[in-house]
Formats: sequence, structure tokens, C-alpha cells
Amino acid sequence: MSDEQRAIDALKPIIYQCNRCAHCFDLSWLGTDSREKCPAYRWGHFESYTGRGRFFLARGLVDGQIEYDAEIAARVFACTECRGCAEHCFKYLSTTDIYEAMKEDLARLGLLPPNMAAGLADEGGLGKYHNVYEAPHDERLAWLPDTARVDQQAEVVFFVGCTSAYARQNMALDTYNLLEKAGISFTVLSDEWCCGHPYLAGGMPDKAAEYIKHTLALVKQAGGRQMAFNCPGCQRAFRDDYNKLTGRPAPVEAFSVVELLADRLERGELCMERYRPKTTVTYHDPCVLGRWMGIYEAPRALLRAIPGINLVEMPRNRRDGYCCGVGGMIRWDFGEMANLAGADRIAEAAATGAEILLSACPACVMQLQQSRQKAKARLKVMDITELLAQQVRPLRAGD
Amino acid sequence: MSTLVEDLAAICGPEYVSDRLVDRICHTRDCGPNPGGVPAVIVRPRTTAQVSEIVRLANRERTPIFVWGRSSTFIGHGIREGCILLGLDLMNAVEKMDFDNQTVTVQTGAIWHAVDVELGKRGWELHVPGSGGMFVCTVGGSVAYNSVPHGLAEYGMTGDGIVALEVVLPSGEVIYTGTAANRASADLGFERYANGPDLAGLFIGSCGVFGIITKVTYRIRQKPEAERFAFYGFDSVDGAVDAAQALQRRQVPTHLVQVFGGQRPVGGRFKPSGEAFLHIVIRDGRAAAEERLAAARSICSAFNGIPLDEKATERYWVHHMYSWLRNTPPEVYYSDRPYTCPEASAFVPTQRVKDAIRYLLDYEREHAAEFAQHGIRIKAYDVYYSRNAAFLWIDTLFPELDPDAWQYGLKMRADYSEYLWSNYGSPGGILAPLAPHIMPKLGGGYDLMKAIKRTLDPNGILNPGILGLEAGQ
Repeated sequence: MSDEQRAIDALKPIIYQCNRCAHCFDLSWLGTDSREKCPAYRWGHFESYTGRGRFFLARGLVDGQIEYDAEIAARVFACTECRGCAEHCFKYLSTTDIYEAMKEDLARLGLLPPNMAAGLADEGGLGKYHNVYEAPHDERLAWLPDTARVDQQAEVVFFVGCTSAYARQNMALDTYNLLEKAGISFTVLSDEWCCGHPYLAGGMPDKAAEYIKHTLALVKQAGGRQMAFNCPGCQRAFRDDYNKLTGRPAPVEAFSVVELLADRLERGELCMERYRPKTTVTYHDPCVLGRWMGIYEAPRALLRAIPGINLVEMPRNRRDGYCCGVGGMIRWDFGEMANLAGADRIAEAAATGAEILLSACPACVMQLQQSRQKAKARLKVMDITELLAQQVRPLRAGD
Repeated sequence: MSTLVEDLAAICGPEYVSDRLVDRICHTRDCGPNPGGVPAVIVRPRTTAQVSEIVRLANRERTPIFVWGRSSTFIGHGIREGCILLGLDLMNAVEKMDFDNQTVTVQTGAIWHAVDVELGKRGWELHVPGSGGMFVCTVGGSVAYNSVPHGLAEYGMTGDGIVALEVVLPSGEVIYTGTAANRASADLGFERYANGPDLAGLFIGSCGVFGIITKVTYRIRQKPEAERFAFYGFDSVDGAVDAAQALQRRQVPTHLVQVFGGQRPVGGRFKPSGEAFLHIVIRDGRAAAEERLAAARSICSAFNGIPLDEKATERYWVHHMYSWLRNTPPEVYYSDRPYTCPEASAFVPTQRVKDAIRYLLDYEREHAAEFAQHGIRIKAYDVYYSRNAAFLWIDTLFPELDPDAWQYGLKMRADYSEYLWSNYGSPGGILAPLAPHIMPKLGGGYDLMKAIKRTLDPNGILNPGILGLEAGQ
């Protein structure tokens, strides 16, 4: 790879802006409860795993002090893309832009971690199956009660996402039912592919764009002007990444189901049933929904609206929220790191005394459920859609 | 090298040692403009005993040690090529909050603000609120550098709050200072000036060249009832300095900051006015704070100060963001600046602030063409007033990306330092890039420091080059 081809070189002016202040990985000034900010640093021990460290590596690359190798790849891909570093950057740098450029270079050099390389491969991986679970495509809508809403003309397209479709099918059904209760006219796509998000995590932006465009073509055919998601990673692909990848805004608006429901709740179009018996819940902010897209209050507004639910916060919440450890597809190659972050987050949730830990992301929920099992923690882990599916109801006469 | 790595791993555990370049290269710079060398190996001890063993090993191997806290100084730390990098961030426990004796004892790598937050949950606080604008300074690093803290006017320097230290000497021996030195009361560091000479003073501001601070016992106090704020503009620097001196004489402010140059304050209830600005923070009981605030207003008015929006002062105090000094949100001030800030600074007598700022303005005028050529920006000239003097920060920004501008920026810092330190000023903390400019001016004091270094550290193991105390320097 010649110097001209490297994505990282174009970012030299940003790399040089790094103040090296360490705010990106050290939040301990907020108190000892908040000491850990970066799951990679917590696991990897050395600063090369932090935002500041990765900027050092980037600077070493653009200055010609070091060359890409497997060690650098291990530091860059051992990142949950939680964006905690960017959120706390003293100079407001988009740290993840630097990581994405390094990933792109590493992918082109064939330096992807082995399991990620296999998972994203055209032969036998995402490229073949169009989903990260390598499951048959014709099983993608197996959870559907009927086909009445498949490939219909509709204002809203419900993008199911791989995890809901294959691994957490109850979430797909809950979201489907919630959209119906909210009175939203929607369709689902029989030829839905992965949103492309894993390709971005693997430094393959062109492949990601190809996948997004595939779905957008189907959305256009269906006459869709909005898309609804229960997976923040999928939502981000259409809301933000398409624009970044192509330089053009996406031709649809992309909303989380919690945004849509919170909006209708605020307009007085939905009601909540009382939750019995009274219970205390805590909420884990998915990094992509929160720090990447700024959606912190919609899920909380919905939870606060449920009679019988008492919402308590973990010490690290909203922009300071700790990652559950599953972003950036790290489970493929850095399972130990994912386990550590998940265990930390479960311990933090359990310490609040909550009986239920909620989140709004199928990947986070899956990770937290696994972590809960390993920790033998007593609290239940649920996606917010599962709770809402039980509690939301349309307005009735007399409400 | 493999033997050294193995020996370090035997002391701390293999997961806390790395000699991989990908790890080592991340320690070559602090927040300042001067690059240092690449360490040979990184080690992260968790106990004082491990630090002691590492120091003994370094002596045997004749391999220097560089002590690393969070590396958040703006000077340039001067790390030596091929050294052992001793990362102390895992030694971060708050060991004891002693409200009876009004002290807290923490391990060296504890983050200053984290300790303050923990005390704050109980209604207490550290004697000084932390240094400069950085949130991530470690306690050990702040003490070793003796950083200039917020609250300087009332609370003094970082070192003023020290009660006792635990220090690993260059020989590996562990010593204690103050009352903690007497093993009969080892757990009660309650008085610094006990048991003879003030040994703590040897290590405060020494930047780790005489010993590694591993534990700090620090003064704490109950949080004051009230905080009050005032913000004034003055038509001239001289007016602001005279007002500041009057405030000092009446002991009105807890924290007193003068701002000159750079981006002018904006917004607020009053139209910003003037050339120089004073931010006043007062902390006390409610009645006393009101009384001091009235005195501050009276004094500033007497020097023709114009009241401005004190919210800027409050936000600065609360958030420690320099941008608030100009009443702008942080993102306005800190973003879009591919610049580094090569801090030059000096303690100066209060009245000499007038001359110093005239010098800086003359320098700007005389070098206007070079400033334009290299894209130099003046962030600000800020002054933290102490009880009786002033600490001047010269925050010029230059684009590090441009090698010529970078060289020019270093020259500017050298020029500023030489002028101030050759006339009436002296630096606070000293690090490698500053040492050549100040140490030769210290005469016998410099000789004494070198003699102490030779005696304590005959192998030149600890932070060599930082203060220029080694043979031949």
C-alpha cells in the first residue's frame, strides 16, 4: 500500500489536534464510580488500547515512525466503538473517524483479526449469507405471525435487523406488535439484508454502502419514507452512515421504535398499563443509541410513563454510560474483553438494587443476558420493547 | 532486554509489563510540544513494595526509570530513550479519609478530582481544588510538579496542602516525612513540620528526580457554606493589576484570575468592556462571603472596574474550562484548533504583571510578520494571583503540524522564558525543556540540588535529565 492510498494520511491535521490530555479514557475526575471509561483499556492494560494511545499510533503512522502490523490491528479492532472517548474529548475530536480510517487501511492490508475476516468474507461469511449469523436468508422472517405486512406499500418500513431476525426473534415480534399498537402503517422487507454495520466495524465502507443501498432500493419500491428500527446499529447505518459514506443524505428518515413511541406518548396517543407488582428497573444506554445518535431521553420518558415502574440510574449513565462490551463486533476476536465489560456492567446494574435491567438494543440485551448468566446475578435483563409490548396500549374511550 | 522484562514481570506479573513498540510509543509525549524518547519497557506496579523492587532492579541493570502519572503537563516531559517507564496509575486507592485529623491519604496515582469528588460526597474537599485546567492529573504528579492550583490566592500552591509523603528513594528504600516518619505514629500523618527538617519539601516540585512519591497525606477541610463570584472589566492592564493588588492586601479572593489578550469575553448582561478582566471567586461562610464580595465590588469599582456577567466566573470555577473566562462555551474555544499550546509561565511580583504584559504586547508587535507567517495565535495571557504575587501563563498556540511553525513556537517559549526569568520572574514546576533556561541562574542552589542528586541517586536512575542535575549538565 503506497502512502497515497492510506486513509489515515488524509486525517493528519485531525491527528495532530489531539491534546493527549487523557480525558478520552479517564473519567475518574467524576468520582471513583466513574473511573473506567474505556473497556479496551480496562482489558488491555496499556494506553495503546485507549483513544489517546490510538492517536499516538495514528501519529506514528502518518509520521512514518511505525507501520501497520498485527499488533496495531489488535489495538484498533479491540474497540467496542462505544464512542466514550469522542464524547469526552477535550477538543471535541471525532476519535472514531481516526479508528475507522485505520480499520480501512488494515482491512486493505489483510490485517483483520482472523474471526472478523472470516465473518465478513464473501465466501461463507456475511458476503454470502447477508447476515452475521450465517443463517439461511429464507429464515429471516420466520418469526412473522403472517405475511400480511410483507413487501407492502407503506409509509414506514420496519427494518428488522439480523439479531432480531435470527437470535432474538421475540424482539422482532414485540417491535412489530408495538408498531401496530401505535397505529403506524408499516411493511417489512422479504429481501432485507444486514444493514452493513459489521462491514464498517471491519473497515470495509464500500461493502457497507453496498448493503445500505440494497435496502434503500427496496424501501423506495415500497414507497417508504421512514424506517423504524429496534437496533441502534442498523438505525445509524441509515440515519448517519449512508450520508457519511456517500456524501448524500439518505432518502428516508430513520427512527428508533422508542423515538416513535415516545413521540406518540407525548402527543397523548398512547397509554401505559400499570406494571404489577411494582418494580424497580435500571436502564443501560446502548452506545450507538446514546453517544452516537444522542437518544437518551426517549426510552426514559417511556419508562417513567409506566405506572408501577421505578427507574433508577446506574452511576455511569447517558453520555457517561459504560459500554456493555459487545460493540465493534469484538466478540468475534476479543471475547475475553467483551466478557469483562459485560461483567462490569452487570455488577453496576445489580448494585442499583433494580430487579430488571433494560436496554434498547438487541445486541446489548443479548450480551447483558449472557453476562447475567455468567455472574449468576438475580436481576432480569430485558429489551425495552419486551416491556413496552406488555404495557403499551392505544387510547380507549374514557382515557 | 528480555532479562529486564522477565525480571519486571516477576515483580509485577507479566500482564503488567510490555516491551511491545505498539505500547511503548504511546508514552513519548505529554500534552506539550517536545517529543521524548521511546521507553524500552513499561511496567505498572500496584504497590509501594513493587515500586521499591523495580527501583532496586533498575540500579542493578543501570537502566533509568521515568515516572508516569497521567502525563498531562503542557511542557514536554523529557522521557529518556530506552528507560523503564513506571506507570503509577494503578496505585490509585483512597486509603484513608481521616476527618478527625482533617487529612486524606491516597496512593500516588489517584486522580486529584476523583479524590475531591469522594470527599465531596461527605461534605469535605481537598485543600486545593486541583491544578490548571486538567481533570486528569494524578495526586503524585501534581505534588511532584507542585502545580499551580485553582484557589491560589487563599489556599496557596499544591505543595502547601501536603502533610506527609511516602517516598521510594533512588536506592529503593522507602521513607516517610513529617509525623508519619515516626513509626510510632506511622498511620497518623497529621503534621508536616515535625521531626526536624521539612523532608517533604525536598520532593515537592522535584519532578521525581530525588524519589518516587508513592503515597500522599493531604489536608482536607469541610466545604465552605457559600461561593460568590464577580467579574470585572478594566480599561487598562494597570487598572486591573492595581485592583488585584488591593484585593490581595484585603485578602478578599479565594481565587483571582486576570485575563488579557486572546479572545475577548462575549455576551452576558453587560456589554463587555475594557482591556483586562478580573474573575473573582470567594468561598466562605455565608455572611463572610457576602462581606468579602462587597469588598471585592467596592475595590473593583474604586479602580474603575466595570461589572460583567459573573456567570462566566462561576462556570469557569465549576467546570474548570478556560473558555468560560471569556464567557464562551468550551467547544467554541477548544475545537477547530490543530494547535499545541507550549506553555510558558512565571511567578512574578504583582506590580510586575504590568511590565510583563507590556513586554508580551511589544513581542507580538515586533514579531507580527512571523506570527502571521507561522499561524501563531494568542490564546490568552492569564494571571493567577497568589496571596502576594502573581503567576503568569502565556498561552500561545502554534500549529504543530507545520515543522517551521513548531520550531518557531519553541523559540517563542524560550524567548518568553528568558525574558521573564532573567528579570523578575521564576518558573513554578520545571521539566526538561525548561531546565536549561532556569537552572544555571540558580547559582549555589543549583549546585546543592546536583549534590543532593549525586548523593541520593549515584547511578542517575530516577528521571534523568528532567532538572538537569546529572554530571556534565
